[in-house]
Amino acid sequence: MKRLHFFVIVIFVVVSSCTVEKTDYEAELSTETTEYIEYENVTSITSGDYTVNLEALNGTLYKGYNEIHLSIINTVTSESLQDAEVTFLPIFTDANGNTSSCPHAYNLEYDATEDYYSGFAVFTSESDTTVSWQLYINFQVDTQSYAINQTITVEEQTNMNLNMTAFTGSDNEHYFIALVSPQSPGVAENNLVAGIYKYNQPTEAEGTFPDLSQYSYSAVQDYTLLLDPRMPEASMGNHSSPNNEDLIMESDSLYHGVVNYTMTGNWTLNFILQNAEGETLKGTEVSTEFTPGIEGAKSDLYIDILF
Amino acid sequence: MKRITLIILALGTLANAQNTPIKKDSSNVVLDEVLVIAAKKNKIETAMKMAVSVDEFLASSDNISFIKRGAYAWEPLLNNMSTERSTVTIDGMHIFGACTDKMDPVTSYVESNNLSDIDVKSGQEGSMHGATVAGSIDLKRKSTAFALGQTWNGAYQSGFEFNNNQFFNLGNVSYSSDKLVADGSISYRKAKNYTDGNTDEVEHSQYEKFNTSLGIAYKTTNLSSVRVDAIFDKAEDVGYPALPMDLSLSRALITSVTYKQFFEDKLIKVWDTKVYFNTIEHYMDDTTRPENLVHMDMPGWSTTYGLLSKVNLKKENYSSEIQINAYDNLSIAEMRMYPQDRSETTMFAYSWPWVTTRYAGLSISNSWDISEKSQLNFGGTLGLNYNYSKYIEFNWIFHPGASQEKTRFLPNLYASYQFNASGFESSIGGGYGHRAPSVSEGYGYYIYNSFDRYDYIGDPDLENEISYEANASAGFKNKKGSIKAQVNYFYIQNYIIGRILSQGSPMNYQSVGVKGYTSLDHATLFNFSMHANYSILNNLHWKGTLTYARGLDENKNNLPFIRPLSYQTSLHYSYQKIGFRTSFNGDLKQIDYSPEYGEDETPSYTNWNISADYTFYIKNYKTVFQIGAENVFNEYYSTYADWGNIPRMGRNIFTSLKIDL
Ligand SMILES: [Cu+2]
Repeated sequence: MKRLHFFVIVIFVVVSSCTVEKTDYEAELSTETTEYIEYENVTSITSGDYTVNLEALNGTLYKGYNEIHLSIINTVTSESLQDAEVTFLPIFTDANGNTSSCPHAYNLEYDATEDYYSGFAVFTSESDTTVSWQLYINFQVDTQSYAINQTITVEEQTNMNLNMTAFTGSDNEHYFIALVSPQSPGVAENNLVAGIYKYNQPTEAEGTFPDLSQYSYSAVQDYTLLLDPRMPEASMGNHSSPNNEDLIMESDSLYHGVVNYTMTGNWTLNFILQNAEGETLKGTEVSTEFTPGIEGAKSDLYIDILF
Repeated sequence: MKRITLIILALGTLANAQNTPIKKDSSNVVLDEVLVIAAKKNKIETAMKMAVSVDEFLASSDNISFIKRGAYAWEPLLNNMSTERSTVTIDGMHIFGACTDKMDPVTSYVESNNLSDIDVKSGQEGSMHGATVAGSIDLKRKSTAFALGQTWNGAYQSGFEFNNNQFFNLGNVSYSSDKLVADGSISYRKAKNYTDGNTDEVEHSQYEKFNTSLGIAYKTTNLSSVRVDAIFDKAEDVGYPALPMDLSLSRALITSVTYKQFFEDKLIKVWDTKVYFNTIEHYMDDTTRPENLVHMDMPGWSTTYGLLSKVNLKKENYSSEIQINAYDNLSIAEMRMYPQDRSETTMFAYSWPWVTTRYAGLSISNSWDISEKSQLNFGGTLGLNYNYSKYIEFNWIFHPGASQEKTRFLPNLYASYQFNASGFESSIGGGYGHRAPSVSEGYGYYIYNSFDRYDYIGDPDLENEISYEANASAGFKNKKGSIKAQVNYFYIQNYIIGRILSQGSPMNYQSVGVKGYTSLDHATLFNFSMHANYSILNNLHWKGTLTYARGLDENKNNLPFIRPLSYQTSLHYSYQKIGFRTSFNGDLKQIDYSPEYGEDETPSYTNWNISADYTFYIKNYKTVFQIGAENVFNEYYSTYADWGNIPRMGRNIFTSLKIDL
């Protein structure tokens, strides 16, 4: 009897412990992507009586879309500067000394509840030994103007879900598409958010540096970003997903759509950018054929993601 | 009434009667049970073969057919309906396979030497254990009763089948005493690839199965007992020639504790309560198929807890069984695809996104003997079915906003009237019942069906399938023989079936498109069977069966997997210690096939089988030796239900030896 009991217990233990471990799905989703939710200090710059604290997610500026929070503190009174006019201009200097900028919010908006000035910048390349990024921040207190000029480091974007692309449209304008969200997608319906910007080409020659007219960008209005997500892996045969929605502009000046990812792995977001008149500026329709073993051709305009 | 037990009719009635009558001495009741069980014990064998697998045994039943994906683990179709529409239980316990591709029907987790019989009920009469449309298949385990003195019983069976080099050894032993009973069984089968009628080897048709069971009962008082049961089953290296994958390992542990209380001179005769637990792990393997473009891991798990409690009541000519049934199942299936460049990230998704099914039902079945000649059977079940998909976001991809939790109310009702007079017997009955979608139908995600080559997507908000059923039978019986015809007709509202989706694209590289489980407005199914036997001489018996079925969808198109006209006829001759059997069976051409669901026309076939056995004694131990051949003509054929038209086994010579210890 005892022996039988023992036998039963042994079998029970052996069997209830699985031979193959079940996948930890939550961990599976975070192997390729890390989601940053905390704003941390990137740098603090002092000018006169004021210290400017620049915050971004994870305390780091990455290539691609970065939301930034700026708080300005009077070092004497320890009070923050509220509701001032604050401007923000990132300037890129290439190896030859030529300067350019990137899509950004020039006039920062004051957020009274959080007590900071918010804006964004879509850095188009990483900092390295030959190229650099500088921030030009101006603000005014009463009649006194403050101008800050600070070199920053733009790091490589390791999260492919925040990739960006820059291109020239058929209208000869320079466009930028940067993914904003989701940072860590799931095998699910994901709300896809992107910023679409255009370089406003200057009509006059450059004045004194930094001449704002040379570095003007704006979010494009009422364009449509047609979406066709597909898996680039050859064996997946140009696999796609259903129920995706093209990206259209919403009140936050960002473009919102829906992308469904049917499994984890590499995905290509194939785009076609159309202006408000419905004219195609960039991008080609991709084949919808299922071609096992053959990688599907990508659109002229695409962003690769991975999760 | 369409109660089809696989035990002989007479024994069936005896067994039913045994549940209820109470004798003065409870040990008599128990002893009677022994007799019945002992009598049933030898019944897991077919007319042709004494050493059969559970599948082969079930195949000998009139209203069961099979979808075959290879030589192992056939999926039983009851009344030409697949396993979603029937409930398959072991002693009333619910078990759910862990394979999205249906490689492991519940019947694959038992072995013939741990079963005493299989109880098949057609239609709503099978709803006692849970909501059903097609009926129920209850696998009854062996359970020796308490004896007055100490007794040991056992049997050993061994055999070899030449076509696929299958070698099997089955052993079982039971001990019985006044207070304690123990039943144990152990079995091992190993088979290589079989060859078809053209003597070509069918690759990936091998299998290996180990099964053992143990049951211990202890008499707690004169009128009560406790019984603990466990079955452990392990299948390894099983090939599925019709599928793009094989099985590396499938393991099941099936356990239960039962408490039984008898009552004397009361309205309640027996109260039987069981708690159970079973767990299955299932790992598919495609490394055996180097031709596959994509390497995939597809593990699956299924765990079920349950409770079953029933009382039997009897007063004069009225008897009744009331049953409470509850279970909780968690089904998980994963797929991970490996890119050709293995340094790239793998691709992962759930094909069953952690789906919980909870069911609780209260059933009652009544039998009222109106007169000597007539009987009314009626009953019903009120069930509550709850589903929960943990990772509902998978289901939302095709069905945005679908319910994560879904509660369904599942009523089932039946009634039948039976009339018997001077050898004539007839019955008429009807039923009404709901069933909930299965895990795959509700929550399946890109489940590849290699039959029609579509990826299947479940829909959590599918309506209940509602069955309206009518059945009738008529027969005549005398000392020389009997003949009986049975018909049933199902009108099934919201019939669930896969329909091509215009959206989405295949995920599995062999696939040609995506199908979603959807509800047809209705479908109808008609089943007919005729069964006759006749004793030509005292020692020469003839038996014959004819079945026909037709299934149509709402547009009068054929449903898939409906058996064409089929027949079976056999002769059994015995002379002293020698028995000789021969049988013909076959299907006519499948004219009413369904191209829409991936079927093509299947030609007719006939199989001729013969066997002979010889009974002798080795030191007082009764021994039977049998030799026979199946498909003697070595005909090359595949049936309407052979997945991917894989050919069936060619000529197979089988031998077996059985010793009763
Ligand atoms: Cu499987």
